[in-house]
Amino acid sequence: MTQNRLTSRISVGTALVLLTVLFPPFCRAQVYGTGSHTVTIIVQPISTIRTNIGAVNMSITGANAVAGVDAMSVSDQTTTLLWGTNSSLQKIVVNSSLVSPLYTLKLLAVGLTSGAASGEVILSGSAQDFVLNIGRTSGSCALRYTAVALASQGTGSDLHAITFTIQTQ
Amino acid sequence: MKPLISKGIRLGGICAVLGILAARPAEAQALRVNGGSITLTMTTGVAGATLVDVQNTTCTLRYRRQSRISKITVSTSCPGQKFALRVLATNVSDGVAAPEVTLQDGNPSIDLVTSIPTSGFRNGNCTLRYTVSATFEDGNSTELGNDVHSVSYTLQAQ
Repeated sequence: MTQNRLTSRISVGTALVLLTVLFPPFCRAQVYGTGSHTVTIIVQPISTIRTNIGAVNMSITGANAVAGVDAMSVSDQTTTLLWGTNSSLQKIVVNSSLVSPLYTLKLLAVGLTSGAASGEVILSGSAQDFVLNIGRTSGSCALRYTAVALASQGTGSDLHAITFTIQTQ
Repeated sequence: MKPLISKGIRLGGICAVLGILAARPAEAQALRVNGGSITLTMTTGVAGATLVDVQNTTCTLRYRRQSRISKITVSTSCPGQKFALRVLATNVSDGVAAPEVTLQDGNPSIDLVTSIPTSGFRNGNCTLRYTVSATFEDGNSTELGNDVHSVSYTLQAQ
């Protein structure tokens, strides 16, 4: 290899490097600038539950009575319960504000879209399992209330404030 | 012959270092993300539906017009991404905002602002509107960890 050819190659190399220095965009796929930053996303544990209507009234009248039978009952299935939780292994419990009701009030989850019903519960002041296995889902069910009164209990009324709670199973 | 080669290599090396040093300040001025790192926190949901989206508009992009029509693209790196993140350029002073971009870890860069005009030594600005979406099924950060995105913006020829 002659000195002239070497000098020529070195000159071409130097020219390319100088091109990089003077016109960087042409040598970097025409990128003029970059910037970045960090975006952090935090999703807190969120559980929410509600009913579609605020109040249910049930009246036991003579129409509910059967001659010779002490128990009289009436049912209502107009309310829908809706919930959502992004935590795993959750359940819904239910309790009433009325610690010592005159009459029996029962509740059953019907048509669950997620989870499993724990069966009909008799409402009391203590929280009872109502729907199980609802982790990381949103769902709904109909609430079937059944009020039962004995003829021997006479007349009167009960006012329940019913609370549904999502908690760890 | 050897001294000539060594001299060429040395010269090339020096030029390359100078090139890198010269190019960096130019790029830093060409595009800048203002507002620093941000955190979006989801705290509420709708029973029977989904979580409520959270938005953040505290960050902006400042970019310089170039000798050719240019655009800004965006991409993200977020290994193990769990929650949906979108970004939209609003209040774009120079160029045209592209439709809202869904940022997904590993996806190629997507246009955010296009048709940034040439001419004039002028800076453009836009606001970055980030939106986070999640479903109840996506879980939460306490159990699964936070999503930490390194979001990159690139100003390049269109």
